[in-house]
Amino acid sequence: MNTLMETAPNTFLPNEIKVSWNTPAADQPDIAIRIAGLRKSYGTIQAVRGVDLEIPKGELFGLIGPDGSGKTSIFQILGGVMQATSGETTVFGQNARDARSSIGYLTQSFSLYQDMSVEENLLYVGMLRKLSKREIAERGGRYLKMFDMDRFTDRLAGKLSGGMKQKLALVCALIAEPKVLLLDEPTTGVDPVSRREFWDTLAHLSGTGMTIVVATPYLDEAERCQRVALMHDGLIRQIGSPAEIRNGLGLHRLELRTSDLGQAEDLLQSGREIVDVQRFGDRLDVMVRDTAKGEAEARQTLTTAGLETREITVGEPTLENAFVSILRELNGEQRIPAFPSRREPFSPSRAGIAIGANGLHKRFGAFHAVNDVNLEVKYGEIYGLLGANGAGKTTTIKILCGLLAPSSGAIELAGAQGSLRSSQVRQKIGYMSQKFSLYDDLTINANLDFFAGVYQVPTELREERKRWVLEFSGLEGKGDILTSSLPGGWKQRVAFGAAIMHEPQVLFLDEPTSGVDPLARRAFWKMINQLADRGVAILVTTHYLEEAEQCNRLGLMVAGKLVAQGTPTNIKAAQPGQLLELIVSQPQQAANLLKLEMEPWRVSLFGDRLHVIVESDAETGIRQIIQQLKQHNLQVLKAQPERFSLEDVFIAVVEQVRKKGLRTED
Amino acid sequence: MKNLIQKITGMRLWALFVKELRQIQRDRQMVVALIVPPTIQLILLGFALNPEVTNLRLGVVDENRTAVSRELISAFVEGQAFQVAAYYQSPTELGRALSSGNLDAGLVIPSDFAKRFEARQPSTVQLAFDGVDSNRAGIASSYAQRTMMAFNQRNGLAPVKMESPVIKPNLTARVALLFNPGLRSSWFMLAGVLGILLVLNGSLVAAGALVKEKEAGTIEQLLMTPAGATEIIVAKITPVFLLLSCDVWLALLIMRLVFDMPMRGSLLVLFCAGALCVFAGIGLGTFLATFSKSQQQAQLLNFFVNPPIALLSGATSPLEGMPHWVQPLTIINPVRHFATIARGVLLKGAGLDIIYPNLLALFAFAVVLVGLSAWQFRKQLE
Repeated sequence: MNTLMETAPNTFLPNEIKVSWNTPAADQPDIAIRIAGLRKSYGTIQAVRGVDLEIPKGELFGLIGPDGSGKTSIFQILGGVMQATSGETTVFGQNARDARSSIGYLTQSFSLYQDMSVEENLLYVGMLRKLSKREIAERGGRYLKMFDMDRFTDRLAGKLSGGMKQKLALVCALIAEPKVLLLDEPTTGVDPVSRREFWDTLAHLSGTGMTIVVATPYLDEAERCQRVALMHDGLIRQIGSPAEIRNGLGLHRLELRTSDLGQAEDLLQSGREIVDVQRFGDRLDVMVRDTAKGEAEARQTLTTAGLETREITVGEPTLENAFVSILRELNGEQRIPAFPSRREPFSPSRAGIAIGANGLHKRFGAFHAVNDVNLEVKYGEIYGLLGANGAGKTTTIKILCGLLAPSSGAIELAGAQGSLRSSQVRQKIGYMSQKFSLYDDLTINANLDFFAGVYQVPTELREERKRWVLEFSGLEGKGDILTSSLPGGWKQRVAFGAAIMHEPQVLFLDEPTSGVDPLARRAFWKMINQLADRGVAILVTTHYLEEAEQCNRLGLMVAGKLVAQGTPTNIKAAQPGQLLELIVSQPQQAANLLKLEMEPWRVSLFGDRLHVIVESDAETGIRQIIQQLKQHNLQVLKAQPERFSLEDVFIAVVEQVRKKGLRTED
Repeated sequence: MKNLIQKITGMRLWALFVKELRQIQRDRQMVVALIVPPTIQLILLGFALNPEVTNLRLGVVDENRTAVSRELISAFVEGQAFQVAAYYQSPTELGRALSSGNLDAGLVIPSDFAKRFEARQPSTVQLAFDGVDSNRAGIASSYAQRTMMAFNQRNGLAPVKMESPVIKPNLTARVALLFNPGLRSSWFMLAGVLGILLVLNGSLVAAGALVKEKEAGTIEQLLMTPAGATEIIVAKITPVFLLLSCDVWLALLIMRLVFDMPMRGSLLVLFCAGALCVFAGIGLGTFLATFSKSQQQAQLLNFFVNPPIALLSGATSPLEGMPHWVQPLTIINPVRHFATIARGVLLKGAGLDIIYPNLLALFAFAVVLVGLSAWQFRKQLE
């Protein structure tokens, strides 16, 4: 009923909103938020240990750091919902608690009334803020339109997709027109398309002079902030623009493609010139101090081991590289404990189809949730299922693992066909559901006892396995903590450990790394790769496309259909058009202009850089854009062709399907 | 021995069971809810639902004024059922006092009472009751009759005839509806109330435990484990069953200590009946839970099912007082069977030979309801 083809979602028409593009005067910036000597303790635990911070008006400021580094505590103090133990927190010169009327605060969990409609939610929030009905209707309508949600005013909040829920929560926070917006991990569990739209909106709001502080575990998002503070253990360890932090490392990134990534990773890890190695689906990122020396060492190491070096390219380090390097300096080398397996890896003869689906359909009434899905996952393979919220990924997984019967189609799972609900089949399967894999009212140990027992892990191995999970999660000796008191990222680690304790042959992971910090995410993927190397078939969904690159094969789902399948490299290569990276004088204004000139999804803003996908070749594209911007007195300082990131491809594919009129969410 | 223990603790069912036990342990509220409310309800209902009547206001016209007539009056007061409120000169005055609601009952002793008593001739006293509260009037009338009978027996006399003129027109009709079988009617009630408590608590707690898993979203994770539907249900039921079994003993203790309940038959038989009753309740609760998505829904469903079970069980009101078409339906009410068993065992000392049909019926309920919930639980997946 709602096709998204006509009104493209990230259109902002500047004449609808009062816009002032003026950046604060450089010499005397207006200070919006001032934090001095802030401390917060919970009993004996010191969550914040002396933070000093000044954020000027209109800045988009990012707070990044591992789980449990004190980000949420700072938000709660800034939002005036919690008292600091000591220190000063002022918002526009007022005590944070007194300034609440000028602060909008979006918490980690959805703060909406699920059984009220979009309109009713807005009305409720507005009346709490003592706005008149007219004001609520006017502002609500304006922001809903801005977020392309004005068609959904009658929809119950509980029936919205995750991304739309977050946008509605943002509208609720915006309706009082706050001067300061606090967003604590607003995009966790939100798909890449919605996430990009969400950040476009933030960039726009900050352009209008709103001060925004946002925490995120996704570092590609953090690149879009003007300044970023890296927190660790209750302290700010690094602060500056993303570029300053990236360059402050003094490191360079080599993208290396070789015949055996797993082996190459192990070999390069110990290199003298090499600081860090990270494995992706079809490449390694190698961090080196000196490009030439590093490249030489890498080549030599691989040649000595008889591996073929296919390609080495030099790139800039990313914010994630910086994050990981800084944290490794602070924490020391993070060791991932080897899984205490007693089983031989599968022999090649056993390799065959682990998960198979042929002509899979699932209808809920008139709604076609899964539409003719065909896929095959072999033992030892990592298959990534990508898609927007509501594209049918979770339904597909539920069908594939036997929780839900398909309307039609054939399924094969771990050697069983037809009925998948036998105890023997489930014994071979590990499953980590989207959110609630652990019992909140039990301790970690009790949860692990339960999963070990219910999966019949041999009694003599149970203690060893439990120790391993705790070690993997970084929770040694803390097994008696109640699960509900763990931060989200840690819970995910324990849940992952619990799901593989019985050494499954087939593993389903539904958004395993949602809300997990980058360092822990690396540990996750190392473990996933280890399992695959041992012959386990893995089907994983993620909204984090950077990590989707670690999959051997990917499937892109849109509106219940698998619209593209292949290796990350193939999928990127199949994408038509060319990605350009531009550095322009006034990036926000340039982005808005270009969105009017071409389809809006082709343009996105990354901090000070602009990504544009053009249909023509690079040279023509650049020439055209320079010309277009010149007409509005905007200058292109630098322009170069770039490789597609998986996220660019994902968004392009989704938009093209939308253009054809397929429904993606409703 | 050690091997056996290891074997048991290594079992899948054991893991499921320990998990449930630990969850209940954490859930202080639930443990409290299993002990405190039933205790309070039992005591409260035991007192409140007691149809016994004391201190009825009795007006007396003693035209005889002899030792014998005073003895009759004191016989009325002895049982604490009546208390003399006032003496009147004439039946007319007494009648007026009754009509104005100052009295519950009136007694008129004729002037020749003592003479006829000495002569061992039957004599007639007049009794009148305020029939506005028909129930109260009926009870008062039956007390009065018993008092007269006792008086006659004590004095080795032929029955003193009682004449009951109709002061409020509906009096005589009501006398026939009397049901209170013994002076200690709380005993009768308590045996039935125990059954209600077991079924209600069983169904509420079991439904709560199952729906909680659905609400938290952990049910999918649980269903993906190799554990079967029956294993899951059994593990869910067992801890609740154990806790409620303790409730049976607790209730018996209260009945004994607070209400001085006689325990004439085998307590083991009664406990078995109680356990089956709990099972039936749990089965009902889990069955309802398979239809509910939230605690709220489960409770509303429970609220729909439980009051009829409680009220149409004969536990608090006699089955004979219900419409004829309802009476056969009570056969499918587990509380009815439990109440019959409990009364039989506790008050009459009945053994298995007498109550076995009711016990079998309870057994059938337990098996059918638990089986149905396991079946429905499995069906949910399809």
